[in-house]
Amino acid sequence: MNHRHLLPTEIDLLLDDEEGFGVAPLKAHVRACPECLSRLEDARVITDAIEELPHFAPSFSFAESIMAQVPVYVPWHVAARDSVRNTVQRWAPASRPARVAVVALAASVASVLTVGILWIVTQTDLLVFATGIADNQLRTLLLTGSREAMTSFFGAQTVALASQAGTMGLALLVGGFLAVTTAATFGLRTIALASSRRRP
Amino acid sequence: MPTALDLSNLPDADVVALAQAGREPAFRELIRRYERPVFSLIYRMIRDRELAEDLAQDTFIKVLNHIDRYRPEFKLSSWLFKIANNVAIDHLRRRQLDTISMDGSPHAATSDAIESTSFEVAGSQESPLEELEAKELGNAIEQAIGQLRPEYRSCIMLRHVEGRSYEEIATTLDLPLGTVKTYIHRARHELRRALEHLKAEGEV
Repeated sequence: MNHRHLLPTEIDLLLDDEEGFGVAPLKAHVRACPECLSRLEDARVITDAIEELPHFAPSFSFAESIMAQVPVYVPWHVAARDSVRNTVQRWAPASRPARVAVVALAASVASVLTVGILWIVTQTDLLVFATGIADNQLRTLLLTGSREAMTSFFGAQTVALASQAGTMGLALLVGGFLAVTTAATFGLRTIALASSRRRP
Repeated sequence: MPTALDLSNLPDADVVALAQAGREPAFRELIRRYERPVFSLIYRMIRDRELAEDLAQDTFIKVLNHIDRYRPEFKLSSWLFKIANNVAIDHLRRRQLDTISMDGSPHAATSDAIESTSFEVAGSQESPLEELEAKELGNAIEQAIGQLRPEYRSCIMLRHVEGRSYEEIATTLDLPLGTVKTYIHRARHELRRALEHLKAEGEV
């Protein structure tokens, strides 16, 4: 038996139930030494009593007082995710077979579209040809529409005269039209303002 | 979204993740889990119920307002206790109030205030005699803890009331491990000395 009594730090090691190297001789000493056993038991009574001390409860309004000062923000990515989830939940069919069918249909449409787009992209010549046709069609449509609009505004003879005068004639015609329209708008606005000022 | 019932079964890290996603019930769940330990730690440090409640609220407000900065590799409770300890120590330094009294707050001006700030330790023993003895021992220990230096007080409470390891206490209080061991050792020594009279009276 080791006749040296345990140091306070060694009592602490036993109190903490340490299992490391060197603790076994301390335990053996305590088993054989009534004085050290008594010191250890006294210390353990106190630590046990501390461990049994109760938690105190704050007032009932404690949580509410805290929450009143904690603004709760939903981050944008969470809001976006929730929005998508809600939309899916709203529009997705309730039954599982229907959901599977919708997903299968959507996947089929997406596949067809993807394949079609990829095919068109690979056909460069066809793309250039189709773009040219679309361009011609659009230009013809715009010219025809403009000519018809001008004919309905200025009459066929005026348009014919302007056409004979060439680009300058067309520019004069359009410029004159815009000047008259602007002057008329300005005049009407002035009259309306003068009328509203006179009103009590 | 999980209900309040679901939240109570989740680990802290998951509840914090929900709080970071802006779920108010998760904030309330965190308060529910830690209001008593945090309030108790501060109350035993400050010894003034109203003030301890204010400081405990400050602790939660600081943590919950910065919940987005929480890193899951650390324990939430360690973060809470760290801030709770800091606010309590800061207060004690400001007020130079480093001892507590079992007989009411030193700031209590009226008899009602003294009564409302007195510790009342509940016993959980079986017989009335054992309950009385446990209550007396509990009161004596509360009083002895109140006589410790604030640094010892927080260490001994984290160790024995909250059951933290030495390493956790060192992380929580930003102290070297050796310092924590020294503080706890000295605290135990002082508590044993302070409670020697109970042993002489046969209560310990």
